[in-house]
Amino acid sequence: MTEMSAQAVFNAAADKIVAEDVDVFYGTFQAIKHASLTMKAQHVTALIGPSGCGKTTFLRALNRMHDLTPGARVEGSILLDGEDIYGADADPVVIRHRIGMVFQRPNPFPKTIYENVVYGPRIHGEGNKAKLDAIAERALRQAALWDEVKDRLQRSALDLSGGQQQRLCIARAVALDPEVILMDEPASALDPIATSKVEDLIGELTEQFTVVIVTHSMQQAARISDFTAFFHLGEIVEVGATNQIFTHPKEKRTEDYITGRFG
Amino acid sequence: MIALQARRSRRTELIAVFGLRIAAGFVILAMVALLGYLSFEGTKTFYVDKFPLWSFLFSPDFSPDANHPGGIVFIVGTLAVTVFAIAVGGPFGVAVGVFLAEVAPHRMTQILKPAIEVMVGIPSVVYGWLGLTLLVPLIRTHTSSPSGFGLAAAGIVLSIMILPTVITLSEDAFRSVPSALKEGSLALGATRWQTITRVLLPSASSGIAVALILGVARAVGETLAIQMVIGNSVQFPKGLFAPTATLTTEIVTDMPGATAGSLLEHSLFSMAFLLLLIAMVLIVFVRFALRRRT
Amino acid sequence: MAVTIVPRSPRSVAATSSVRARKATNAIATAVLWVMASSIIVMLAAFILYIGYLGWSALSPAFILGVPKETTPGGGIGPEIFNSFYILILTLLFTTPIAIAAGVFLQEYAKAGLFRQIVQFSAESLATVPSVVMGLFGLLVFVYTFHWGYTALGGALTLTVLNLPALLRVTQEALASVPDSLREASMALGGTKWQTITRVVLPSAIGRLTTGIVLIAGRIYGETAALIFTAGLSVTGNQPYDLNPFHTAETLAVHLWYTHSESVVPDVDRIGNGSALVLLIMVLLFNVSARLVGRALTKRFTGRVS
Repeated sequence: MTEMSAQAVFNAAADKIVAEDVDVFYGTFQAIKHASLTMKAQHVTALIGPSGCGKTTFLRALNRMHDLTPGARVEGSILLDGEDIYGADADPVVIRHRIGMVFQRPNPFPKTIYENVVYGPRIHGEGNKAKLDAIAERALRQAALWDEVKDRLQRSALDLSGGQQQRLCIARAVALDPEVILMDEPASALDPIATSKVEDLIGELTEQFTVVIVTHSMQQAARISDFTAFFHLGEIVEVGATNQIFTHPKEKRTEDYITGRFG
Repeated sequence: MIALQARRSRRTELIAVFGLRIAAGFVILAMVALLGYLSFEGTKTFYVDKFPLWSFLFSPDFSPDANHPGGIVFIVGTLAVTVFAIAVGGPFGVAVGVFLAEVAPHRMTQILKPAIEVMVGIPSVVYGWLGLTLLVPLIRTHTSSPSGFGLAAAGIVLSIMILPTVITLSEDAFRSVPSALKEGSLALGATRWQTITRVLLPSASSGIAVALILGVARAVGETLAIQMVIGNSVQFPKGLFAPTATLTTEIVTDMPGATAGSLLEHSLFSMAFLLLLIAMVLIVFVRFALRRRT
Repeated sequence: MAVTIVPRSPRSVAATSSVRARKATNAIATAVLWVMASSIIVMLAAFILYIGYLGWSALSPAFILGVPKETTPGGGIGPEIFNSFYILILTLLFTTPIAIAAGVFLQEYAKAGLFRQIVQFSAESLATVPSVVMGLFGLLVFVYTFHWGYTALGGALTLTVLNLPALLRVTQEALASVPDSLREASMALGGTKWQTITRVVLPSAIGRLTTGIVLIAGRIYGETAALIFTAGLSVTGNQPYDLNPFHTAETLAVHLWYTHSESVVPDVDRIGNGSALVLLIMVLLFNVSARLVGRALTKRFTGRVS
């Protein structure tokens, strides 16, 4: 993909989430400084950077997870389809319905596989068994897990392997039919085979969802993302098409990180 | 020089460790002695006085003077009072446990936790006295009960007394649920209450079971507070407001006046032995509940 | 791609009616929890105020230092207060060394194995034994088998067995709270295990240990059921402040019970109110000082505050 058409792709795709001048504070400590980033619909945006640079902090601002941390404060604007998710009548519960999250370590509930997947629809009011069954199958197919578990939906989710548990968590997030899926280093706790399955899955997910993924592996970012943002010390240093960032980075800091000079 | 030093300190250590081992063994000795003495004395009713075990456990006729100490009245009394206490104090305690673990802001915790500690420290005889001077007259004036003594008074006092146990253990159970599960639920758009009921409660269930079982153990073993408000009348609890008795209150009421070696005294020891067995069974339940937590 | 069943989420970020309903449930539930928690504080405050109000008028030097009467009004609780302390000190004298020694053994030396499991199991079982049963045990052993009759010593030994599990657990938790890195540092400097324990681990744990001991002391002070059958219901007639451990020793808590169930003195209420208040004051004192002493000791021995 040449730089010209990459730019054309960027311009053609719709803006799903637009973050502008975002600051995140933990008490008096400022973890994110003036971060601005446009995440395009139905594309994968990767957040890379050395550990402690703030990429996870930024990610968690996108679905208002910082609301749960006493003393945390988010400033600036984050627009979902043009509406500020921190606005006066924005509701975190609704936002988390539309923006789902998959965590670094798989965290299935100690329930059956079925109950894990339908947890989201249940708490949002869906009670019809037939509908829930259909949702469960749809979500598990989308997470490429259906064939492996279709005969044991009533077994405990904790019996699954690590990679399967993570795909279950993806199914759980997808069951709510969100628009965006946030992923915080989703494969870092998994073995290489499970990792590649999850990466393949991410590619399929973009047909329907917008994906924002935090990863500490540059190779992973290069493999699966369309756009990449490089974070350092709480700031976004450079943003661009993944190809361009990794072959012709514009900033020196980006180049130093990519060539392994630090991080 | 160093070698000598080392040898000397190693010898001190060996002696010290031997002493420590003895101390630990003392715990076992105490348990064994307790079991031994109580089983020996507690079974005299059956093999010395030749009173049948079946009658002791199931006969409603408690007349030791007539050589017939049937004990079911007390067993039922203990059961009734315990059920009341856990039915009221159990859910209340678990709820406050959730409150402390998930809802309470720091300031509130700083007040509530010391308050609970003070509650633990208040002697049971003071609770009994409070029940006697506050609760019993209240029941007397506001209900059909002529004296105010009875199951209700004892049950209420006991519910209050088991609250600290249930609260602290439930709180521990809730706190030990990994926060990743809470985050996962909230990230899916659940409210805090939904997260508590659908994720926290099931995850903490074995810990809560332990809290409730130990609450029951506390209730079963409580003596004086109940004895001061229950009326101490050897009859089945006819409703909430008639005087009755439990295994523990009976022991405390009649033992001071019992002659050594009499059938009454033996039957009271049998009641104590029964209480001991119930306590041990509850321990087994607790271990079982703990093992379920994989 | 399969048809989506759940309608695509609403196109705004504002709450829908179903979301509002769920949040209402959340708010109501939270409010109920607040009420329940607050009611405990209110109830405790009410108890303390009630006891204080009633008992205040009963407190006088004659009451606190005077001797109890059998059938006439005007009795005091002096010997009972003395006996409570006396038995408390005796009990702690026995319980503390045994519990700490056993605790050190279990936490530092015998981390696994059959012996440890048996000791833990015994401790757990002893912990659930009702105090009245323990009292009967004491009756059998000290009053009957040893032929001591009702004695302070018998009461103290019974209370030792009663409180051993609690103090053992306190010791274990205090020791467990000391991070392993401290132990490793000491061993790396060439210390033996024993030296590590006595010079590093115990001093670090002493704050929590003392807090636990003082709290248990509070419980011992209020113990009744186990003492009725071992230390007895009266005080030695001629010499109420008796240091002889082999005489009967009615404690304050037992006295409170006795006046309200067996006694025939006409001023039962006054004695009860006063006794209850004194007991409450002692409990509060123990509770408060437990924290203070613990903190002071931790500071003294480790230089930090927690």
